[in-house]
Amino acid sequence: MGLLSGSGSFTRYLADGALPENFMEGLSEKITRYSFRNLDEKSIDERSVGWVNVMDMFDNRFAGLEFLREPYITMSFRVDERKIPATALKQYCLEAEETIKKDEDLEYLQKGRRLDIKDGVRLRLLKRAIPVSRCYDMIWNYSTGLIIFGSTTNKICDEFVEFFLKTFDIRLQAICPYTLASRFLKKEGASSDLLDDLSPSNYSAEK
Amino acid sequence: MQLLEKVRETQFMGREFLVWLWFRAETDRGLFDIGGKKTAELWFDGKITLQSENERGRETIICAGEASNMKEARFALSEDKEVVLATIKLLIGDNQWSFALDSTWMNFNTFKTPKVMQDRGEDPDGVFYEKIFLMEEAVSAMDEIYSSFIKLRLSPEWADEERPALGKWISEGK
Repeated sequence: MGLLSGSGSFTRYLADGALPENFMEGLSEKITRYSFRNLDEKSIDERSVGWVNVMDMFDNRFAGLEFLREPYITMSFRVDERKIPATALKQYCLEAEETIKKDEDLEYLQKGRRLDIKDGVRLRLLKRAIPVSRCYDMIWNYSTGLIIFGSTTNKICDEFVEFFLKTFDIRLQAICPYTLASRFLKKEGASSDLLDDLSPSNYSAEK
Repeated sequence: MQLLEKVRETQFMGREFLVWLWFRAETDRGLFDIGGKKTAELWFDGKITLQSENERGRETIICAGEASNMKEARFALSEDKEVVLATIKLLIGDNQWSFALDSTWMNFNTFKTPKVMQDRGEDPDGVFYEKIFLMEEAVSAMDEIYSSFIKLRLSPEWADEERPALGKWISEGK
């Protein structure tokens, strides 16, 4: 359930600076270049991220201008991840270590050897792990520069900001009480320096 | 890095905003002018998270319950805890939103808009625009209320009237 189809949590950003005049021209190519690609079943990649159609997480073609609903650009940031449960990894490593000790008639395996075994087991298990998909909706009002992103998790938000920059070459500024207040003051023609003089209120004097 | 430092330095602004909202909701019927001759009604409903930090570390208290029975949360407030997350109900006209507002990033958590009236099968674009409109309406109302708070916070009225009244209300929670 994404933001547009139900309820959810979101973080807000502001796109830095004005958009170039020809911004719309290369938009499709930019998005297609960074569209989501499935993790290859034979590969050992753990993670794949990219843009998909906000209405259909399996559509990464962007054949038309389905991402554009003026004045909004809407897409989902899809993250597929293969994870090996820690207990399974431990269990398979122990099994592999026991087999090697038996085959080579060893009582003890050096740490380096155990790490090599762990890497080998991890790669073997990764190929068997089914990726888990998650989608986070993005709603970008390009006339106001405001972006709503459907996650409040720091790691995902940081990844989104980086991916947005890579795709559009536009930096995003996270909204927080300070940036929001600066924005209001600028709109009113006042200086945001006024905020630098603020300090936390002490209510205890009134108690 | 610079932004993160700024966020840390000024995180009291978001916390003060949340406690001010709560104060106004309890003492002034929670009515706020949101521009365009519109008024929003707002109240705290459900979960409130409060926090304090001292030399022993961070203490967090989560209070959940009916709006009329927030004694524990009010008590925590009077014990110098600050509101860091609050579940809010917002009413504009006949439309009602629900969300938990976070003080550090002003994030909207578990955000629920009023029901979309358009039919997805008949007009998917209509559903999209209606949903976006409903999201933006609540966000811009909260921004408008926050801007009123900032104006008040920067004015002499804050120290002369609002802060004493707020401090008195906080102490009444004991």
